[in-house]
Amino acid sequence: MNTPAGPIGQSLPRLEAAEKASGAALYTGDMVLPGMLHGAIVQSPHAHARILGYDLSAALAVPGVRATVTGDDVDYRYMGLVVKDELAIAKGKVRYIGEPVAAVAAVDIETARRAAALIEVRYQPLPAVTAIEEAIKPEAPILHEDFAKYAKIYDAPTNRGNILAHSVATQGDPGKGFAAADVVVEATYQIAAQYHAYMEPVAALAAFDPSGKVTVWSSTQSIFRTQANLHECLGMPMTKIRCIAPRVGGGFGGKSEATVQPIAVLLARKAKAPVRVVLSRVEDMTTMRSRHPGWIRLKTGATRDGKLVARECELWFDGGAYADDSPAVMNFALFFVRGPYDIPNVHCEGYAVYTNKLRAGAFRGFGNPQMSFASECQIDELAKKLGMDPLELRRRNALPKGAKWFGGQEVKETALVEALDTIRERAGWAKPMPPASPGKKRGRGIACMAHSSAFLSTGAIIRLQNDGTIALQVGAVDIGQGSDTALAQMAASAFLLPVEQINLSTPDTDAVPYNSGTNASRVTYMVGKAVGEAAGKVRDQLLEHGAAMLAVKREEVALAEGGRVVVTGGSRRNAEVSFADIAGRSIWAVGGPITGSSGVMAQYLMDQGHTKMSGWLSFEAVGIFTFGAQVVEVEVDEVTGAVEVTRAVCVHDVGRAINPGATIGQIQGGFVQGLGYGLCEEMVWEEGRLANPSFMDYKIPSALEVPAEIECVLIEKPEPSHPFGARGVGEPPLVGAAAAIANAVADAIGKPVRQLPLTPERVLGAMLKP
Amino acid sequence: MTDTRFHAPERLDEAIGLLTADDEARPLAGGQTLVAMLNAELLRPRAIVSLHRIAALKGVERRAGGSLWIGAMTTHSALAASAELRGAHRLLAEAAARIGHEAIRNRGTIGGAVAHADPSADYPAALVALDAEIEIEGPRGKRSLPAHQFFRGFLTTALEPGELVTGVVLLPGPAKAATRFEKLARVEGDFATASVAVVLGLDAGRVTSARLTLGGCGSVPIQSIEAEQIIAGHTLSDAVLKKAGELLAAAADPIDDVRGTAAYRRAIIPGLVARAVRSALAKGAA
Repeated sequence: MNTPAGPIGQSLPRLEAAEKASGAALYTGDMVLPGMLHGAIVQSPHAHARILGYDLSAALAVPGVRATVTGDDVDYRYMGLVVKDELAIAKGKVRYIGEPVAAVAAVDIETARRAAALIEVRYQPLPAVTAIEEAIKPEAPILHEDFAKYAKIYDAPTNRGNILAHSVATQGDPGKGFAAADVVVEATYQIAAQYHAYMEPVAALAAFDPSGKVTVWSSTQSIFRTQANLHECLGMPMTKIRCIAPRVGGGFGGKSEATVQPIAVLLARKAKAPVRVVLSRVEDMTTMRSRHPGWIRLKTGATRDGKLVARECELWFDGGAYADDSPAVMNFALFFVRGPYDIPNVHCEGYAVYTNKLRAGAFRGFGNPQMSFASECQIDELAKKLGMDPLELRRRNALPKGAKWFGGQEVKETALVEALDTIRERAGWAKPMPPASPGKKRGRGIACMAHSSAFLSTGAIIRLQNDGTIALQVGAVDIGQGSDTALAQMAASAFLLPVEQINLSTPDTDAVPYNSGTNASRVTYMVGKAVGEAAGKVRDQLLEHGAAMLAVKREEVALAEGGRVVVTGGSRRNAEVSFADIAGRSIWAVGGPITGSSGVMAQYLMDQGHTKMSGWLSFEAVGIFTFGAQVVEVEVDEVTGAVEVTRAVCVHDVGRAINPGATIGQIQGGFVQGLGYGLCEEMVWEEGRLANPSFMDYKIPSALEVPAEIECVLIEKPEPSHPFGARGVGEPPLVGAAAAIANAVADAIGKPVRQLPLTPERVLGAMLKP
Repeated sequence: MTDTRFHAPERLDEAIGLLTADDEARPLAGGQTLVAMLNAELLRPRAIVSLHRIAALKGVERRAGGSLWIGAMTTHSALAASAELRGAHRLLAEAAARIGHEAIRNRGTIGGAVAHADPSADYPAALVALDAEIEIEGPRGKRSLPAHQFFRGFLTTALEPGELVTGVVLLPGPAKAATRFEKLARVEGDFATASVAVVLGLDAGRVTSARLTLGGCGSVPIQSIEAEQIIAGHTLSDAVLKKAGELLAAAADPIDDVRGTAAYRRAIIPGLVARAVRSALAKGAA
């Protein structure tokens, strides 16, 4: 079956497909250790309160209880990627309803939960702020009195109350740009909090060995972020923290940073026994993360002939009680303020604000879906005002190859125009739609999206095993998206081996090289790059050994399928030696074990001469842009305003599709999650309390809400900077989906709906508006 | 480690005895609400009395006079597929088919759903529109109540301590009837944001009787005798339907919740009612 390039480009089944389909796959919540205890958490009933003390006596008196943990068990040691503002468990204050304030370890989960309910925490309630507008009032209560003292990796505002990040950027001359505009549109777009809704709620199992080293198995997107967070909040050296990820049931950004690992470790340390903490769905929804809600005011100017000349943006993100990734998400949203368009004059300001609610954090798209909703809806409003075809307006303004991104990075490759031309054809854009069903209005909408693939750093180690197979050690966690299979396919291709001869390591901080995390659509691109480099080093050694063993020159040998080094010319043509024989030589006779390692860092220079930026995180470790377009058709119910997506066409430039089946799966899954964001998913708080913390009240779309076929077209323009030509695909399919749906709804009803999600009520409200 | 006792009696009187003896005991029918509430730790009953082995609660029987008895333990999927539900009774099959998802319909029972009395659930509105009788048995014997008297409020029924819903009786409807269960939900499988149950009696193409009931628009199914009167016997112009819808909207007493605001529900009721009646007529007599 193998083409000469190996298994790349084949839709191989997932390496772990059989174990997942049969239920044999081992997730953290399935793991049991001898003497293992179960942990349960106690959650704050207050949105904001000082903790006065604890009464643990009733809980400790319950037979089977082995340990309790509260803020008294930790020091003020803060963790966090962007702002170090979180403790292992609440101490001193609670800042949102649901915040873990104590925990219990007991012989079974029922006992632990019952004991947890008996813990009494004495609070002094404080005034709370649960909306951006309240949080920024001069007299607003302050969530983090010590904000100025927290460690941060960006230029944070000082003395701005609950505003934790404020970023400004200017490119060109917006004043002049708007002056040159014939048409200007301005509107405010409301965006809602979306729940990650990963299938597996967060879970961690911690066990200390006799040397005092703790091993933590957890449902995480990054074993190294887990290790770093534990190190920071517990003060343990990394030599004493080993983090492992067994199978992980989804993450979507929500498991990038600490979840319940610190609590599991604290309980295990105190109980002197392994402790597993698995949150219920309600606990997960009330203690973890959401996509950032907030609002975006956007203004865009264009000339009469449809050239975008200026844009202005003011963005406010509600970050919740802890910063988590908020400044980065807010900056990333601004990074996409122009969308994939060549707008020469731009001014934008963004704010992230603390409020007494669940923290908002990384979520598939990382701020880009919010900005793209505003931007892509506004492009349609502009097209309407200009009397221009929305697809044509987009095409005319597509950022060309070689142009600079907002921030000044060079865009080395783009397939946006190709994507638009493809989708025009495929979606029948110029042709009339089928007639609407009785009682329905039909509409069609388009959105473009841009996203990045490269982010931060990673490494890979490749070892030739004694039998000639390959051991691949990477720090990437496959959270269900299929990176294990893709990485194995890439490694297999580098050695012309079938994937069965690649042994992919379990993510384990004791055993694999660093990787920042499974996020930012980066694993296939970044880790794939590291795999390519490490494979090159091993390949060189294979060829050297092979040449020596075959007594020919290095230039006369090449790898051949099936794990062989073969002589390619001369009198010894076709003589060969197997990888196994080479491995034998290396470990028993000459040279030492064959190992190749790599470390790669994403680096793309910004240009302050192009875009002046202040209050930003550095984005020089972000790059490699990817583009796409989506067209959807909807039917809107004239009576109820309910929206049904009847057709979806997704065209994405993916570089080279390492595994086309998995790539299409990512696109379809991303579109569906975007459909939920667009139509029905919204976490609602009432006075700081999450009103819909279950799947009964918070609705994600099911197969019945999705068009029968989500048509996917892959544009495969190999990425020149990647050894296998790949680009990231995890996030782009979600980024523009809500906007495409909103634009289709606007087309159907003749009016824009500028608030996510487009519930029947909001759509009907727009329809009835005079 | 729980201290909840589990009983699975074979006889109805045993079950009633267990439930009467302990007001912290809960009956288990299909478990689609009870088990979810247990999992969410909203309930911690001292005992669970399973009704699964009680033969007297099972089956669907045609009775003398043409009425249909439906055992409390009959599942939603059995009703959705039942050939016994004909004429006006088709409404119940239509409502059953819209409950939750297939897995829920395969386990959930009509007795459990009726006794739980969630006003956004699909059976209450349908049963009131069908003038169904709810059969009850308890420590003081048997009784039955018309559906509209059985549902008393949000999750509140006429059941007394120790009493169980044993079945539902559908009285013979109009000889020729058209039905429609119209439901708006945020996603398929959700409870209704609003629903309309319609039974029209037909004679030679004329609407001779009408029963219209709203679900999800108040703490109990909402009716309007006036609305039903203007539909029965009148030519169904848009104006008549609009008037009927407005009467029902006025009778409704919805709340604001995560599914929609009260104002939104009121706003869509007339349109949903008109659509439900038109759909019923378009389908014709069954």
